Amino acid sequence: MSDVLHAILHSVNIVILIYFFLINAFYLLFTVLSLFGLFRHRELTTYISFKEIFRLPLVKPISIIAPAHNEEKTIIESVNSLLALEYPVFEVIVVNDGSTDQTLGALVRSFQLEKSRRVFRKVVDHKPVKGIYTSPSHPKLVVVDKVNGKKADAMNAGLNISRYPLFCAVDGDSLLEKDALLKMVRPFLEDPEKTVAAGGVIRLSNCCMVKCGQVQEVRLPCNALARFQILEYFRAFLGGRIGMSMLKSVLIVSGAFGLFRKDIALQCGGYRVESIGEDMDLIVRMRRHLHNMKRPFEIRFIPDPICWTEAPETLKCLSRQRNRWHRGLLDTLLHNKSMLFNPRYGITGLFAMPFYFVFEMLGPFIELLGYIMFAACITLGLVNYPFAVLFFLVAVVLGTLLSLLSILLGEYSSECYPRRQDILILTLFSLLENILYRQWLTLVRVLAFFDFYRGKEEWGAMQKKGFAQAR
Amino acid sequence: MSPSLIITAYSLLFLLLFSVSLFVFIIVRRLVLEQRKVQFDRLYKQIEKDILEAISLLDPDFSLGVARKYGRHRAVLTRVLLDFGDIIVGEGRDQLRIIFNQAIRGRCLRGVASRRTTKRLQSIRLFIIFFDPVDSAFLFRLLDDKPIIKLAVINALARIPSPETMRQIFKAFEEDTGFTVQAYFNIIFGLGSRTEPLVKAFLNKPLPVDKLGLLVELVGAIPLQTLYEDVVALAGHPDKEIRIRVARTLGKLLIPKTVDTLIALSSDGAWEVKAQAVKSLGRMKNLKTLDVLERSLFSPFWYVRYNAGYGLAEIGEEGVRRLKEVAGQEEDRYARDMSVMVLNDMIFPGEAA
Repeated sequence: MSDVLHAILHSVNIVILIYFFLINAFYLLFTVLSLFGLFRHRELTTYISFKEIFRLPLVKPISIIAPAHNEEKTIIESVNSLLALEYPVFEVIVVNDGSTDQTLGALVRSFQLEKSRRVFRKVVDHKPVKGIYTSPSHPKLVVVDKVNGKKADAMNAGLNISRYPLFCAVDGDSLLEKDALLKMVRPFLEDPEKTVAAGGVIRLSNCCMVKCGQVQEVRLPCNALARFQILEYFRAFLGGRIGMSMLKSVLIVSGAFGLFRKDIALQCGGYRVESIGEDMDLIVRMRRHLHNMKRPFEIRFIPDPICWTEAPETLKCLSRQRNRWHRGLLDTLLHNKSMLFNPRYGITGLFAMPFYFVFEMLGPFIELLGYIMFAACITLGLVNYPFAVLFFLVAVVLGTLLSLLSILLGEYSSECYPRRQDILILTLFSLLENILYRQWLTLVRVLAFFDFYRGKEEWGAMQKKGFAQAR
Repeated sequence: MSPSLIITAYSLLFLLLFSVSLFVFIIVRRLVLEQRKVQFDRLYKQIEKDILEAISLLDPDFSLGVARKYGRHRAVLTRVLLDFGDIIVGEGRDQLRIIFNQAIRGRCLRGVASRRTTKRLQSIRLFIIFFDPVDSAFLFRLLDDKPIIKLAVINALARIPSPETMRQIFKAFEEDTGFTVQAYFNIIFGLGSRTEPLVKAFLNKPLPVDKLGLLVELVGAIPLQTLYEDVVALAGHPDKEIRIRVARTLGKLLIPKTVDTLIALSSDGAWEVKAQAVKSLGRMKNLKTLDVLERSLFSPFWYVRYNAGYGLAEIGEEGVRRLKEVAGQEEDRYARDMSVMVLNDMIFPGEAA
């Protein structure tokens, strides 16, 4: 009996070890690819001036769609940031998704909105629209007041009301850099036929000083949780997504900031209202649709355009957010499971989907299994303590190395934090995140799995502090 | 010690060393860059001051002196020349050219052959700014380089719109494929009406749809009004993309003789063509189009109705009267709602445009 137990424990340990090496090898590969991607991007931008893009007569107009639900603290600053964007032709559509606070009232007061009799084409379904507001003083702004659906529902309403061939999805609490759209539209100019979507970098605005909808002074957040998240965002955007983009395997264009071709999104039926992670879901369904149509396409990730958003600063808010993200991932992967390992879907079916399935979806379980196995081995007295300690240290240092590499990527992409001590603080936090924070997140994601199967539909609303105002 | 323990220990040591080195590298790099930036900014200001003086004095000897003085600091000088070269024209740029030729040109020639794309691009950008016709033969050779370099060269050639350079640009446009085709729009657009004979010749060539569409679009964007007949000839093109662009271009050229073509396109089989034709008809502000626009308000296609509504609004008094009529009828609520929206929007200045 004991031999059988030993053999089982040994086999499981081997599987976990292989998993550990594979996942880290992939992350290292993505980081190296990202480094190449960044250098290539810098070469291209040496030649292409964004002022020239502004003057190009062929630049396509963009509809910016910003769904907002109970965003009264940040909405005015966000809309100001959107209206101040540098782009030849664009409109800003704010969809007030049944807010119970003063979101609509604040918008009406600040932008002198008046009820309009605008008609629109209902191509995709959404909950009823209560009213459309326009502003004589801000002709680019349209505010849609609708019955509460979810974010996907609000996006669909925005899609129906939008007039332009490209749409940019942004969160109601996000700030965009002035030239973000000019940078983001570049792949659509280079290859208008193939490019169907592009994503940009998201950064955290906690503690940054904001003036007139623009971040004036970049600062490291004071909150420890937000600092951990900075590292996660660095790794995800600069390490992961640029690398995935190099492998033509981008499956997520963040809902906080992404540019899409409207015709393709509408061909896929717009956003799936039932989806939990509407951003990933749309991209996967776009990929599926285009593969089915046998149309060559590209989904690009641009390291430059920057969107600022507020990160949760309490464990409760963060766990809600991550719970929703993980449920969204599960929902999208399971909804499109026929694409998994399916050669018909090219690199999406053979690499991108399996990667997300094995390493992102099952990852928390395998990590938890590792902790359980460790506990079991301690109980059974099977732990080789020197090895266990060394292995733990290897895991911690490897995690820190990956974070340092993403900080380096940040330095190369000029998205660094200005003060030297910030690098020191971030390095320290990359060490600290391996103790408790990482394990806590694993648990949150495992619980999300059960919530998903229980059919939990909670959106995971976040308490907003609002942006710090620069003088 | 067991082998697994030894391997893990060495892995840890390696990772630790790697991480520490990386950390040190990031910090040292930051320090060096900050230091360099301070020196760069100081020198930049000095050079900027002297260059401004050279531009105001317009004395070639003084400019030569500046070139000699800062010849050793080529990186900063290059940056200043790139910044000033884009904004200074006329005699001032001649002084900058003197400095460029004296201090940077040789290095740029080497830079063009560099293995680093960034360096090649920067050198070509300087050649673009300080273009000398004697360099054109040398630049033609770079047309065989990778697409991004080729585009930079074509951009340089576009600065000297001689018949030969324009012929080269159009030849490259004809031969090129892929995403760069779109970039030619910008380049040819910059050349303006000088391109008319070449655009005319190419409109009559059997080109792929994307290139032909781009040329049709150019006719409207520049605009090349004398080519309207060549554009009208493409109104029956089998590809709908071309027909859309024809309709759009005619709406930019605003030649009264083309109203009939646009009216014909407004009953095209493809709704996209219809929508574009109706939009262009609105821009024509021709009373002859009133009936077509009013009829289009009852189209089953939203975009056609939308463009027809705003088209009628653009025509003015008579258009508004028609809109009010449609807004008052009850038979087609879609046409009514669209008319109401347009009329409502006209209250806000700029919205109806």
